[in-house]
Amino acid sequence: MTTISCRQLTRRFGDFLAVDGVTFQVEAGSICAFLGPNGAGKSTTLKMLSGIEPPSSGEVEVCGLDVRSRSIELKLRIGVLPEDLGLFDDLTVEEHLSLIGDVYGLSRRVSRDRASQLLRALGLEHGRHTFAAACSHGMRKKTSFAMALLPNPEVLFLDEPFEAIDPVTSKIMRDLLQSVAARGITVFFTSHVLSTVEQIATQLIMIRKGRIVWDTPAAEVPVPLEQHYFDLVEAPVVEEIEWLRSPRS
Amino acid sequence: MAPVAAVLTAVGRALRRGQKSVWSVAGNNFFLVSAVVMQDAGVFIYLLIGVVILFPLSADPLLKIPAPRLKLLPLTGRELWILRAASPWVNPVTWAIAALGIWAARGKVTAGLWGLAAGMVAAALALSAFGVAPGYGLWRHVPGFPGRLNQLVRKNLRQMLSTLDLCCAVLLAAAAAAFRLTMPALPPDAILILTVLVVLALSSYAGALFGLDGAGGRSRYRLLPVPGWQLLAAKDAAFLAIVVPLTLPLAPLAGLSAALVALAASRNRAVNLPREQVRWRFSTGAGNLEDAMGGLAQAGVMIMAAASVYFVSPLFLAPCIAAWAGSLWWFGRTLDRAFRAEEAQEEVGRFRRPMPRGAEARV
Repeated sequence: MTTISCRQLTRRFGDFLAVDGVTFQVEAGSICAFLGPNGAGKSTTLKMLSGIEPPSSGEVEVCGLDVRSRSIELKLRIGVLPEDLGLFDDLTVEEHLSLIGDVYGLSRRVSRDRASQLLRALGLEHGRHTFAAACSHGMRKKTSFAMALLPNPEVLFLDEPFEAIDPVTSKIMRDLLQSVAARGITVFFTSHVLSTVEQIATQLIMIRKGRIVWDTPAAEVPVPLEQHYFDLVEAPVVEEIEWLRSPRS
Repeated sequence: MAPVAAVLTAVGRALRRGQKSVWSVAGNNFFLVSAVVMQDAGVFIYLLIGVVILFPLSADPLLKIPAPRLKLLPLTGRELWILRAASPWVNPVTWAIAALGIWAARGKVTAGLWGLAAGMVAAALALSAFGVAPGYGLWRHVPGFPGRLNQLVRKNLRQMLSTLDLCCAVLLAAAAAAFRLTMPALPPDAILILTVLVVLALSSYAGALFGLDGAGGRSRYRLLPVPGWQLLAAKDAAFLAIVVPLTLPLAPLAGLSAALVALAASRNRAVNLPREQVRWRFSTGAGNLEDAMGGLAQAGVMIMAAASVYFVSPLFLAPCIAAWAGSLWWFGRTLDRAFRAEEAQEEVGRFRRPMPRGAEARV
């Protein structure tokens, strides 16, 4: 069953074409990694899929619902870790989870239990009373990740979930994502951490300059992924910087 | 001295680009109305500005430099002290306040009072230098509220607690309450004026309700399955939770009517023209003359509403409630569209300019 479907999805900002006629589908229970260099259009695509950003043209459906309507019903069925994390400086980690529990209509008890489990799993328990403004970037990201998971959504949209995360938490997050995917929840995430992508993704989509350059099941990925990425997306060019070779010159 | 000069130049540049300290005063309803209506009679208000604006976090230009960066700069202890002493004077607000203080106090202030003022300035700078600032510890005790918007109302209340508008309103309300206790026969006109002044001190915030949410907060609003009118209602609940207790010792019904009208009248600005605000500064809605005129008009309507309720009949509260409810409904519908447009605007900025939004405010 297709959970995410987009056809000729385009986003234009003035005369800049950020996403150019993107078409792909993601099946239920997949873990789809959306890869590409900075500024390729990954986050913009994710925003359009999650209803944060309206497309300039094209069609998007998530869970069979038209994303353009940005309906409350759609929001209730998806969990999102946005690029800027979507946190309020004036709420603590625990209060953020309580906010999600309240607005998604969970009972206080269920919300509290789920929050405690997530905080424990993600190593946030000691910082549960810390205000978001005082949290490290990693803590903020984990808080936003927990907020996406708390309502137990049908689809998870995660923008760079593994960046700035310690190795232990990264492993826990990978395990969590694999376990929710096994239950039929669809995970769509962007990442630059190719080693993690190799471990969990079941579908890979690469985007470059707003266009899809590769869309394939992960099982068909030639290993190593990094080399394939360099071939398809962009190869690193190392420029020699002479003055960096001698100290205080 | 070259490193100190370089840092001061950078701080000055950041201040000029921000200009928020200046505009936060110039664009605040309270001060606009004070300057236009009260003129010479507003000496007390001007002194209040001076006291509140010298509150450490509002006046210290060195806070433009992130603390870790300041510690990393290769400056000696002596150079740091020179920087500390010289930095306030790159802020145009310091010069403006000094000039205003001298003008307002000409011939009325003794040498002792001048000494006291100098001491206050020194204390403010010392507090800032040693990093003593109101923090999140106190805000932890902001109580919860009933309903599903509990955490949103709590957050909004905490945001209001980090504005200088509130400091100003609390000082005014406390002064008015003390005055009333010592002079029970305060004329009704004076009670009304004091009530309106308290609400007026907070009215600019009504037009900048989303100013302290930041980009992350606005993102979250777009993701929450909460209709726009409820997001506005959560903002209003926090606003009224502050206004009502502050006006209780004065004329609470008149204060409530003025607050409702302030919220309704500034709804368009709050939703369609969101203006980023800075903590520990005055909220500002005015970026140009047209906005300033709008602020004055808002103040005029507030005064009319409060006077009608206070002098004619409490029934005039009904149209105030109706106006507020109507604005909630109408602008709740436009809120989602406004956020969406704003998102697109942010994206355009990101693609066209390499510098992230707001980065110019820091060195």
